[in-house]
Amino acid sequence: MKVTRRDLLVWSAGAAAGLMVTPVPWKVLDDVSIWSQNWPWIPQPPRGPVEVKQSSCTLCPNGCGLRVRMVGGWPVGVAGVASHPVSRGALCPLGFGAHQLNWHPQRLRAVRHRGNTSTWGEAHAAFAKACSEGPVVVIDGWPGRAASQVLENFAKSRRGEYRVVLSPETRALLPYERWSGAPATSLGYDLENAQTIVSFGAPLLDGWGAPGRFTRLWAERAAGMTDPQLRLIQIDATLSRTAARAWRWAPVRAGAEAALAAGVARVLLEEHLVASRGPMPHTTSAEAADQTGLTADAIRDLARTIVARGPVVALANDDNPAIAALNVVLGAVGTRGGVVRRSKTAKSYVAADAEIRSARAVLINSSVPWDFVPRTDAEVFRFAAWDGGSSKADWLLPAPGFLEELTDVPAAPAMATETYAVAQPLAKAPHEVRSAAQFLAGIDASLPTAEKIIRARCQDLFHGRAGTLCAQDQTPVSKVASAQKLEEQLWNGAVWVGEPFRAESFRCELKEWPTVAASVPSQNWLSSWSAPILPPLASKVFQESDLRERPEGRIA
Amino acid sequence: MTARYGMVIDLDRCTGCGSCMVACAAENNVPALPQATARTGLTPMLVRKVSNEMDGAARREVFIPITCMHCERDTPCVSVCPQQAVEVDKATGIVMQMPQRCLGCRYCMTACAYHARYFNWRDPAWPAGMEKSLNPAVAVRMRGVVEKCNFCHGRLHAAKEKAAAAGKREIDAADYVPACVEACPTAAIHFGNLADSNDPVSQESRSSDAFRLLARLGTEPKVYYKSKEAWVRQLAESVSARNPEASREAKHV
Amino acid sequence: MSSTALPDSRLTDGQLTDAKWIPRGEERTSLSRFLLWLAPWVVVLGVGVYAAGLCLYYGLNQTNMDNRFAFGLWIFLDLGIIALGAGAFFTGFLVYILKRTELRPILNTAVVVGLICYSGAVAILMIDVGQPLRAWFTFWHPNTHSMLTEVTFCISCYLLVLCLEYIPIVLRNRQLRRLPSFLVFEHQLHKLVPVLAAVGTLLSFFHQGSLGGLYGVLRGRPFAYRHGFFIWPSTFFLFILSAIASGPSFLMLVTATVEKVTGKRLVAGEVFRRLGFISGVLLAIYVAAKSIDTLVWIDFTSPSVGFAPWQYYMHKPFGLPILFAEIVIFGLLPAFLLTYRRTAMRRGWLLSAAALACGGVLLNRFVLTVQTLALPTLSFDEFLQYTPSWQEVASFGGVIAYGVIVYSLSYRYLPLFAPQQGDDAHVSGH
Repeated sequence: MKVTRRDLLVWSAGAAAGLMVTPVPWKVLDDVSIWSQNWPWIPQPPRGPVEVKQSSCTLCPNGCGLRVRMVGGWPVGVAGVASHPVSRGALCPLGFGAHQLNWHPQRLRAVRHRGNTSTWGEAHAAFAKACSEGPVVVIDGWPGRAASQVLENFAKSRRGEYRVVLSPETRALLPYERWSGAPATSLGYDLENAQTIVSFGAPLLDGWGAPGRFTRLWAERAAGMTDPQLRLIQIDATLSRTAARAWRWAPVRAGAEAALAAGVARVLLEEHLVASRGPMPHTTSAEAADQTGLTADAIRDLARTIVARGPVVALANDDNPAIAALNVVLGAVGTRGGVVRRSKTAKSYVAADAEIRSARAVLINSSVPWDFVPRTDAEVFRFAAWDGGSSKADWLLPAPGFLEELTDVPAAPAMATETYAVAQPLAKAPHEVRSAAQFLAGIDASLPTAEKIIRARCQDLFHGRAGTLCAQDQTPVSKVASAQKLEEQLWNGAVWVGEPFRAESFRCELKEWPTVAASVPSQNWLSSWSAPILPPLASKVFQESDLRERPEGRIA
Repeated sequence: MTARYGMVIDLDRCTGCGSCMVACAAENNVPALPQATARTGLTPMLVRKVSNEMDGAARREVFIPITCMHCERDTPCVSVCPQQAVEVDKATGIVMQMPQRCLGCRYCMTACAYHARYFNWRDPAWPAGMEKSLNPAVAVRMRGVVEKCNFCHGRLHAAKEKAAAAGKREIDAADYVPACVEACPTAAIHFGNLADSNDPVSQESRSSDAFRLLARLGTEPKVYYKSKEAWVRQLAESVSARNPEASREAKHV
Repeated sequence: MSSTALPDSRLTDGQLTDAKWIPRGEERTSLSRFLLWLAPWVVVLGVGVYAAGLCLYYGLNQTNMDNRFAFGLWIFLDLGIIALGAGAFFTGFLVYILKRTELRPILNTAVVVGLICYSGAVAILMIDVGQPLRAWFTFWHPNTHSMLTEVTFCISCYLLVLCLEYIPIVLRNRQLRRLPSFLVFEHQLHKLVPVLAAVGTLLSFFHQGSLGGLYGVLRGRPFAYRHGFFIWPSTFFLFILSAIASGPSFLMLVTATVEKVTGKRLVAGEVFRRLGFISGVLLAIYVAAKSIDTLVWIDFTSPSVGFAPWQYYMHKPFGLPILFAEIVIFGLLPAFLLTYRRTAMRRGWLLSAAALACGGVLLNRFVLTVQTLALPTLSFDEFLQYTPSWQEVASFGGVIAYGVIVYSLSYRYLPLFAPQQGDDAHVSGH
């Protein structure tokens, strides 16, 4: 049979038409769509029951309230808690990505000894040996917690030392400690009642204290208003974020903050703009003008503006005593709207930056910022949840990460009232991690556990009958039914707030204007952040946009 | 229910912290791209720092959060997509992007005057285990597709489910809050229904301090900005339309 | 037609030859020399395929395109190559519809060039999209408002048309003709050609225009945005005009290059002049239309959306000289040279003018593709730079190499320039 061209055409056409009626082409098209929509290497989110739980962020001493969405037992998203008296529903940019931190590739998952993998047993043995051979210095980055008490008890019991790395906000309060004897950790700024705030470089709107504290206050009372209820005067060498939004920006030369404080104090005293009579600074007006780069008239205007509407308080970004002295002149110490004492029970601590001599070993808690390196020759045992690289520590010990351990949250630095909260663990910790408190319990079995201390503190709060419990609504402690109830509420995210401060509880004696010591340079806003790495999503602000410069020494 | 969801962003409040950017990325399963640059990154919410281009004491800066503007009129990206992977949801006014249908031709990115669309130049990759931290309410995209802000549509969905479970027809406005709005520490971003004249956002959008970027292009964007500062309002239109005098407003001590 | 045996068709001992594939009566260089000619192009093609493979495998991060330069070198290549390939449909239109039979000798070349241009463009598009497997979505979910839908449909259909026009040419190969079914098939197809030419013209009219429409509708890019007629912005018509103006010029350049490389006179000088004249006249009309369009844009369209034109030209090196170059140096000047008798008679002037015309259309596509994206829209945007990556350049090179290879093979084995059987055509001079 001869196959003609006609046959060929007819058959081809028929086959094509017939194929359309079969499922073959449609199935192929459908499959192609599915292939092109679901490639096997694209990660799938977890499935499971959804819960929303509350806790506190533990990555810096501010302890912002967290509302955590959990799926199948894993945190899949974090948000703030609007009723939280400190953070007021806000978190810092890093906080929003914190739930991904525990899977960061640099997560420490094994004990490391001088670069080699080791075991807890060996670390334990080495530490025990060190303890028997000499004094141990323990360094804590977040004092006031239950775990801090364990660390401190351990150090004292071994005739060692307990030292603390203070957050910049607390460090700025050190001059008052020197002049009044009240520990810096017991002090705070009553910003909520101030009407004029003069910030000498402190990034109030960008990383100072708990993000929500001042930003919410400022948003309610000052943002966008031509005559705001809260006047923010920012002293900054360059137009920082806070300066850009402040009511007034005074550009001074970098490092001349002390000179400006002195110049302003001089004007206030000479023109009798304040009730205080001294101390008079040694710097003359001309010198102040010269050093700051502002004219004498400008300094005079600034001084008048500062006191135009009180109460007024000055904030420093470091422990510059000149700014603290200015507060004394302004009468802002121990008064409403000024520097206040919130606690009778807080302690003063030894700073960790001093050189450590004659120690056999140094134990560094995971709350200490990674860039802090102790000046010592002793054997260093460092707890950390993430390995930041180039560590000089002899031992790197894997600590619990984000929301992986039970901890309590003492008052945030520089708050005007005492607060207390409990951060319950919401994520499963890898089995290799251990907290410093757990580790020390292995050496000294008589040490209490952090949980025991926390429960005891809850009991104390209940029995104190003072303060308010802030949850969805506010309940005075005196109305809470039992200690058990109080504990339960705290466990579920409520925050205890103490009574407002008493004015007469705090007084500063200052006879002479302090000599200007070399001040510690302004801190990077991330300085309280304890982890050596940033949450992966921080790349949005540091890398994938021009919004912020990458911080030095931090690996994203 | 026919709504026109929109935003009013108070530029006098935005401090440029970037919380909204991170919260948006976390909510929408946007991968972190540490090797990307400002031009290849994936930032459905992007905060841009803008100055009045002066130095010294006369310098002023403002931070402008940019998202998809959810344009209402002849929406440029909707009209140009060859396979209708973008459409305007009539019930909400939200411009929806369907990554599953996107071909990756990037014509919509060329069409957007606000540069609010982002392309997945590489497959998303999370370190081992980190996929457990992904949000199950939002589909994970793959490489080769365009994505953008969709006003946290997953949260609208959840609000609708909640209302339906309670037997209600309308959602509770408090249940539908996009991630960026929730995250902002100064409450600079206000989100609401522009079609409802009682909605504070609708009222704000009609104030004299409110403006939209490039409104003269005629796309009727639904993201408004507001500021008391004239130099900031001058940023709304193109360079040639800006009045150079207004930007010299001084805030001297 | 003579059937004299040619020197190199005689078999010498052991020498490799493909003489039986070469069209009867034609002279071609030796196989080894031909392979030597092809070799570097094959290498370039290989590198191009490798670069394309990298992009398909790793994703488009292999290119230097980014969120601000979403279109880059490849889109410029696509637009340019399709504009230059317009000679295919336009020549078909002129020959079959307008009965300008003196252009018949160039017709086969036009089809091959068209096929190369369109298939190359489609190949590049397949790499340029993020999800090539979803390419069929446009056919399944078409958006009638989008210019790109129109482009996709018309280019796909037109590529099919070009294939159908190319098949008869291929089937005229000496060896293939020996199969009776192919001979008959070719003959039947040949009857279709005028229909194909008409269909091709219609399709091309639309997609050449839609390619211009791609940019003219961009409200968000006032540099490119134009008002127009009904749903079609002015760029729709300007693109058609510039394409049909440069198409013939490109054919001239290709033919002249082939003549140079092969050392033969393949086509009468009159054909060149005719092509040049058509190109020149169309170019003149285009320049006039473009000038009016530019004035309307400067005075009305752009200012009406708040963009004064001076802001487009304040970024070096994309200042006003580019506009001047596009309209005058690469537009008015070649239009004049191609139509003015004195210069049109001289091959050198003619070809230079043709090159300028082609350069003009490429410059126009570049300005609309790259400059549009480089220019700021928001008042706080910056003018941006873009440099293609080696993968993009290599793919571009691969397409050019592909074109040279296909054309070389077509020239060697197919009677591209011979008069066709059964037509009453001019016998082209040899």
